[in-house]
Order: sequence, then structure tokens, then C-alpha cells
Amino acid sequence: MDTVLSVGIVAAYVAVLTFVAVRARAARRFSEFSLAGRTLPLALVFGSLCATYVGPAFSITFVGKGFQSGFLFLGIGLAYAAQNILVGLLVAPRLRGLKDCHTLGDAIGQKYDRKCQIVAGIISVGLCAGFAAVMAKAGGVVLTDIFGLTSWSSVIVVVGITALYTTFGGLRASVITDAFQFSIFAILLPVTLILVLIFHFDGGAATFAKEASAATAGGLGSTSLIEIIGLVAAFLLGETLIPPYANRALASRTTRISRNGFVLAGVFSVVWFMVMIAIGVTARTIVPEGTNEDHVLLNLVKSTMPAGGYVLLLVVLVSVVMSSLDSLLNAGAVAFTQDIVKPFAKLPDETALNVGRCATIVIAAIAAAGAVKVPSIITGLLICYTIWAPAILPALIIGLWIKRPRPLAGISSMAVGTLVAVILWIILWIIFKFVYPAEIEIAPLVIIPALGAALLAYLVGHWLERNKHGA
Amino acid sequence: MEIVILALVVIAALFAICSGVWVATALVGAISRNRTAQTAKGQADEKTNHPNI
Repeated sequence: MDTVLSVGIVAAYVAVLTFVAVRARAARRFSEFSLAGRTLPLALVFGSLCATYVGPAFSITFVGKGFQSGFLFLGIGLAYAAQNILVGLLVAPRLRGLKDCHTLGDAIGQKYDRKCQIVAGIISVGLCAGFAAVMAKAGGVVLTDIFGLTSWSSVIVVVGITALYTTFGGLRASVITDAFQFSIFAILLPVTLILVLIFHFDGGAATFAKEASAATAGGLGSTSLIEIIGLVAAFLLGETLIPPYANRALASRTTRISRNGFVLAGVFSVVWFMVMIAIGVTARTIVPEGTNEDHVLLNLVKSTMPAGGYVLLLVVLVSVVMSSLDSLLNAGAVAFTQDIVKPFAKLPDETALNVGRCATIVIAAIAAAGAVKVPSIITGLLICYTIWAPAILPALIIGLWIKRPRPLAGISSMAVGTLVAVILWIILWIIFKFVYPAEIEIAPLVIIPALGAALLAYLVGHWLERNKHGA
Repeated sequence: MEIVILALVVIAALFAICSGVWVATALVGAISRNRTAQTAKGQADEKTNHPNI
């Protein structure tokens, strides 16, 4: 009976998702594939941004963090909200204001030169493929849990379905399915919290406050100040304007919608973290102490909801993963076409559209193959964040703000930022793995020095080129 | 104070649910407009293809 119910719920989800994806219709021009014709309204930009950033880390892991460290991670998560709001106020409108701009690489190309665009394109495609591999692994884990399939076949099912609608529908299909998936998890997970609070949580407000306070004190006691600073830096910088977010800023109907979409997504992140952490706090009286952080949400739902509720949660988790995966596939494919292929060949619109579609399939295949090599979901994400911020942010943000950005500054900053991040990561990994074995998150220790090196390289490049050509 | 903390959590949950409903409403609007636009385009194409009908 349970199996029939599980299959029924999953089949219903796939049927509705297919209906929504079909109604989004296939892209007929490259501008539809890459920017959805620049017609996205506020609600869809907001929903799609939130659906993209709420991945496994901001759902499963945050519930686990609430269980272990109470509201400590809400404070750290505020850095993420601040990042979104700052991008909305300072960067997104400027990005949207650029003409004929399809990608971040395009923006960098317009501000610097074609070489910088190609380098930014290569970094964007690499990062999107890396992020997509992490999401594919996460999706595979959830699907294996539902059907007991082997992990590789689960990965193929998740990546295959996502690649199918992203290949044909492009950004519009990605945004519309994101909105559908956002609606599912933004309604069902808070409803789960309210149901648990009403029917399963004994002791009311006093117990909730006591558990929250004990967990937060425990979290503060077990986390050093330097770790907290590092985590705040990673939340503030790691995911800033990664290609899928930039695509949504560029695809908004107006600059105002672009700005408001990011600001609202920032505000929503605070609300979302609060709900996830509160689920973790309520789980403290229901789930046994010592439960693995990543299993708290699953165990809580398993022990409080009927069988159908558990399968529904797993479907929600699949949609959390797919909504991030489709955005990454599309952003990677658009960056490949616009920043790597187009600078070398003048493509007719139809050919560009076909190149974008083929790139989606290739990146999906790379993500599926790479999923088995991803060490763990969080480590994989942290590696990607650590490289992204130093590689792209200084060149992009300074380029959007200063009057005459110099190409040498842009390319030096991107090259040095990437190299320092990768080399530092490898050195620290070797040190903490073999020389002084310790369980330390490397990402926060890498991101700040690498960002500093990228900024320094930018200044040196700017100064050298200014002296060469005169101000 | 205890009540305030729990009230904030419940308000956050309700806010998230409202956001989900808002985006769902916009989604329904967007796919309905797509349908209308497709139908209109289909009719226009039909007229162009068969100008005498």
C-alpha cells in the first residue's frame, strides 16, 4: 500500500511538472533560451531566485544546524541575506541596464574586452558544471531513498528529466518550473513546522524557547570566533551573483524588477532560515540526540507524519534539487554559447539556439558523470563557492562601477583569484589531511586570502595599463 | 519573551507560505498567458496561410 502511495505521489509530481514545463513552451530564439525574452515579472524572478538558492544546504543542512546549534546559523545566514540585498541595490540594476548582455561574461566583455569575456565564460561554465554535479549527487541520494534504486540510476533519472525541459525550454522553462517547485517547498515545509508544533511538540512556547536557548548556547560554545568569521565570509561572498542569479537579473522585465527581485529574495532568506532552524529546534524533543545532522529532517518527518507525508517530503526535496540543477544547466549552456563560442564565430540565431541546447545536454552529462566523484554535498558546494568569489567578483563589480576599467586588470584579477583559490585549497587540504589531521572547513580559510590576492592583482593590472597608455 | 520567539517563528512560517501562494498565482497567470498567446499566434498563422478562408 505504501509503495503504491509513494509511486502515486511521485507520478503525480512528475505529471504536474511535465504539464508546467510543456506550458512554458519551447524557446524559438536564442534570446528566449538565454534571457526568456527579458520579460520576467517580479514574482517569477523572486520565486526562481529563491528556488535556485534553496538547495539541499539551505534546507536539509539548516534543519540539522538548528538541531545542533539552535539559532546560531540564523545569525550567520543574515550575511547571505545582506549579500542578496546589496546585490539587488548595487549590482543587479547596473547589470540589467547593459544592452545586449546575456551573461556575466558578456557584461565583463562589454566592460573590459573579448579575452576577459572568454576567461569569464570558461570559469562560469566550469563552475556551473561543478555545481550541477553537486546537485545531481544530492538528487540521486533523495531518489535512492524513495525507490531504493542504485545511486547512478537515480542520478540519471534526476539529471535526465531536468535536462529534458531545460534543453527545449531554456531559461523560461527553468524559471517557470522553478516557480512551481518553489511554491511546493515554500508551502509544504512551513506547513510541516506548524503541524509538528501543534500536534507533536509538547510544552509549548516555554519548551521551544528552552530548547532553542540550550542549542544556541551549545553551538556558540563549540564554534570558535574564527570559524564564525569564516562562515560569515563564505555566506556573504561565496554564492554572490553566480551565473544563474546573474541570468535572472538580466532577464527581468525592468531594472526595478531586477533590483526588487534580489531584495525580496534576501528578505525571504531570513524567513526561510528561521523556519528551517525552528524545524531543527522542534526536532530536539522528537528525534534522538546524536542523530546525524543531514538526517534530522528526514527522521522528524518519518516519526511525525503518515507514510504519504514522508514521500511528499522526499518529492519536495527532489524539487529543491531540480530547481537548482535546471538553473545551473541553463546558465552553463548560455555562458558556453555566448562567451566561449560566439567570440570566435558569428552564429545565426538558430545555430546559437542549437549550440545552447547541445551544451545543456553535454553539461548535464558531465554533471551526471561528476556526481559520483563529488566527495560530499557540502564540501562540493564549498569548493565551488571558494573559487567563484575571488575569480569573478572583483573584476565584475569594480568593472560595473568605475568609468574606464582596464582589460589587464580584469584578466589578472580573474586568473590570480582562480589560481590562488585552487592552490591554497590544495595546500590546506594536504596540511589538514596528512600533516596536522583536523576536521576544519577549508573554504572560509581560502576565500578571504584569495579574494585579497584577486583585488591586489586587479589594482596592479589597472596601474600597469594606466601607466602604459596614460589616464 | 518565550511567546514572542514562538510567535516570530509562526509568523515566518506564514510569510513563507504566503510567498509560495503568491508565486503559484503568478505562475498560473504566466502559463495561462502563454496559452492565450500561443492560441492567438496559431489563429494568425492560420489566417496568413489561408488568406481566402
